[in-house]
Amino acid sequence: MAENVLLFGETTADGTLRPSSAELFGLGKELAGKLGGSLVVAIFGGNIAPAEAQAAALGADRILSATSEQLAEITVDAYSVALETAIEDAESAIVLLSGTTAGRDLAAFESGKRGAAHLVDAVNVEIEGAEVVVRRPVYQAKLLTEARAKLGETLFVTVRSGSYAAPEAEEGRMVDVETLDVALDPAAMRVQVVELLESKAGSANLEAADIVVIGGRGLGEASNFPLAEQLAEAFGGAVGATRAVTDLGWRPHYDQVGQTGRVIAPKLYVGVGVSGAVQHTVGMRGSENVVAINRDPDAPIFKLADFGIVGDLFEIVPLLIERLNAARGN
Amino acid sequence: MNIAVLVKQVPDPNAVKLDPRSGDILPGTAQVPNEYDLVAAEAAVRLAETFDGVQIVAVTAGNARETLNRCLAMGVDRAVALTSSASSLDSLATARVLASWLKSDTFDLILTGQEASDGGTGNVAPQLAALLGLPIVSNVIGLEYQNGNLTLKREIEDGHQVVTVQTPAVLSVLTALNEARHPTLKGIMASRRKPTDAVDADVSSEDLTPVVSWGSLFADEQVAAGVIVRDEPPEEMVDKLMAFLAERKLIEPA
Repeated sequence: MAENVLLFGETTADGTLRPSSAELFGLGKELAGKLGGSLVVAIFGGNIAPAEAQAAALGADRILSATSEQLAEITVDAYSVALETAIEDAESAIVLLSGTTAGRDLAAFESGKRGAAHLVDAVNVEIEGAEVVVRRPVYQAKLLTEARAKLGETLFVTVRSGSYAAPEAEEGRMVDVETLDVALDPAAMRVQVVELLESKAGSANLEAADIVVIGGRGLGEASNFPLAEQLAEAFGGAVGATRAVTDLGWRPHYDQVGQTGRVIAPKLYVGVGVSGAVQHTVGMRGSENVVAINRDPDAPIFKLADFGIVGDLFEIVPLLIERLNAARGN
Repeated sequence: MNIAVLVKQVPDPNAVKLDPRSGDILPGTAQVPNEYDLVAAEAAVRLAETFDGVQIVAVTAGNARETLNRCLAMGVDRAVALTSSASSLDSLATARVLASWLKSDTFDLILTGQEASDGGTGNVAPQLAALLGLPIVSNVIGLEYQNGNLTLKREIEDGHQVVTVQTPAVLSVLTALNEARHPTLKGIMASRRKPTDAVDADVSSEDLTPVVSWGSLFADEQVAAGVIVRDEPPEEMVDKLMAFLAERKLIEPA
């Protein structure tokens, strides 16, 4: 009877763990403990030595790795074969993945292949008796529900990033890395990655920035968006946008924070002309401090705000930029 | 070229409200086509306008009469509504119902929306690809087709990725791919002559049994614990914000 938890340790181009995967180690340990099994981490890619060291420091009991040229880029064709090998090797009751594009694709594809359950987009995961129960947003994150599936056959759980915090790393902790024998048939690699058109540097660091300024529809028009950029610059932070703004084409889609965009959890979130529609707030709920500037006192963003200013952003923001620049100059 | 567009009819996302007594959305909420699925239909229609000999069928699992009619009016050639004995389908059962019909013919392209606005699992397209043994490309925001070769742009965490794949393939698309057309009167008139078939899906009751079940719906409890300032001179409000930022050590104290 399978009783282990297999964590898919998704890596980035530099061979480190994607932060949303690192976040799952505490949860993986806890679930494995409840099942009376161990936490097995699967890591695939080109050069993945940094991720293997991270996985050991974060508490993996076993590390299964596969490296090859065909695994250098994440494709469903290659990674599903590697994941399948890891699932069997690890005797997995639960396969845990972060809810990234790759994580969701892989879990759904494998669940289809195996006729298995895939609990998606979990913000909380529990074991109740012989079932896995997850809490997840539905109806574009307007509402929540609990989805459940029976333990028995291997099941898949993808977790929304920002739902759990990564455990503290125990530097120097060593775990033997076991190499998986993954045979990839070149003819079965149907999807080929040609290139990555990278996001601009300004927005690439949205997830990593300590301070993020978000511009919303309240900015009125595209030509006013630089006000949000200037505020971000004054804070020394990054700038992003709401879905309303990217849908209007004021900003590229990849700058969007929210349900179909990116998920951030900065020390300080500053919403400028952001109303706080759930499609956006689901991507910023993990923020430690929330500041909102909006003309509408009923804007839902104020419900989440630690500090809110009801007022005209075109008056407030220039003043704030001035004060921040002055404070910095001191 | 044979194209299947998979569509779903969903409660209007702008009208969804919780009925706390039933733990479900308010009864009678208007049903609308899933937005992403119309983008998939639009992509298919554009291919038909560009290339000769393209046949498009819109397929749904369950009841989606208005959504199928909308697709027909946009330029889709015919529609199929798949029925089954199950009262409700989870995503795996939905994928099995769709696969049972799709494998009865040869499709070069299967297009659908990235996810539905109700359940929003995004499971069906990859599950279907696995069941049919086809490649899946998700989050598609750019599509070029030439002689059986697809060049696709997709949105991923690190930016925009360009991939190639040969047909047949399953693609799930995002709104940035295109803007779905509004049906013209001519389109609506033409759609009345197009066939919609109801087909009983050939799937065993065992395969229709859900592997994932949903509990009741509930709303997130939000607490308003913050300081909100208003009706004060802008300078004073900004002073208070600066004090707050300094107190939380988010900026250097002035």
